[in-house]
Amino acid sequence: MRTPGVIGAMLPAVRDGASLNQALDLGYRQVLIERGSLLAMVGPLAGAARQGIAIFVNLDAVEGLAPDSAALAFLATDLGFSGVLSVKPHLLKDASRFRLRTVQRIHALDSTGLETGLNSIVSPPPYAIAVAPAVAVPQVMPAIRAATSTPIWGTGFVTTAEQANEVLAAGADVVSSGRLELWREFSRIPVRD
Amino acid sequence: MATRTIVPPAHVRRVDVSVTRLNEAFGRVPVAAVIRRAEDLPRALASQVPAVFFLRAPAFHLGPLVWAVQARGKLAFVHVDLIAGLGKDRAGVTFLAREIGVNGIITSHSGLVAAARAERVIAVQRLLLYDDLGLPSALSALDHARPDIVEILPGMIFPLVVDQIRARLSLPMIVGGFVREPAQRDAALERGALAISTSSAELWR
Repeated sequence: MRTPGVIGAMLPAVRDGASLNQALDLGYRQVLIERGSLLAMVGPLAGAARQGIAIFVNLDAVEGLAPDSAALAFLATDLGFSGVLSVKPHLLKDASRFRLRTVQRIHALDSTGLETGLNSIVSPPPYAIAVAPAVAVPQVMPAIRAATSTPIWGTGFVTTAEQANEVLAAGADVVSSGRLELWREFSRIPVRD
Repeated sequence: MATRTIVPPAHVRRVDVSVTRLNEAFGRVPVAAVIRRAEDLPRALASQVPAVFFLRAPAFHLGPLVWAVQARGKLAFVHVDLIAGLGKDRAGVTFLAREIGVNGIITSHSGLVAAARAERVIAVQRLLLYDDLGLPSALSALDHARPDIVEILPGMIFPLVVDQIRARLSLPMIVGGFVREPAQRDAALERGALAISTSSAELWR
């Protein structure tokens, strides 16, 4: 059975069991674990995955997991996660062996770093490219689109609905935020397929 | 990378590592020129910028570039994390300080800030703003490392976080990363940045 992917523009970034429940209570069927200890919330996450919630995890920032095959096997087989995010191409290649969707993170901090990130995009293309910080997406989208047509997620520093809408208007398919107010606002918008 | 041999400064002791003088120089021209390719250097040398940041040059061909900067009365900084061929460790910082004679280093790592202090060169620590959830821990790391200057990237995030940073740190701030337009430079300076760092030569004048 294939795990669910991401549908809809808002991807709530959760960091513990309480924020996971808040996102699910608002009707979200997808979450990103961006920070915090994954191991401290394993029970609720496994339960959510069993109910068909798409769970993605940022392997570069989450605590408690090694960036290796054993961790990937645990996420894919034991927990039923949908995918992983990382800046590390070799980790993403390994993840695809476990049928996890791969989201390649790219730091948009300066033009040098962006260039390095775009040069490291894996082949075959990842499920999506996550640009951090999301607020940089409007400025860097032309350079990204010149390099790839892969779907773009914006993650990091989105704290207002206006910022989220600017990121989406610039061409991102998905925007992630850790703010409950934004989850509320976007939960009223019908999901686009 | 083609490099002309230029006579190095008489002695490494003469390298200016005064943060006070750097701050004063930025008071006159608040721009650091970011050099990604050696070909970009002549324009920076001809400009009024008081400091040059080397991001990617190969470490073992860096000497003539650094000395050319210093011969113009400018300060040369080398990004330890990004420079090719150099260990991202204390030995790498020691090489830059003693063999090349850089005025300062740029790094994201607190451990290398300590190495710079031990070598008595100026330490610029990068605050990489890609994740708002990580900001509090990044600020405590900076507070603990106590670099001479913090370089905040990317530029468009600076206005969103400047108050939060100032509440926690009293360090001079350089704003860099996608600062390409005069309006972006002015916005950063108005919000209290000491200077901007940019690879856009139009902003070096």
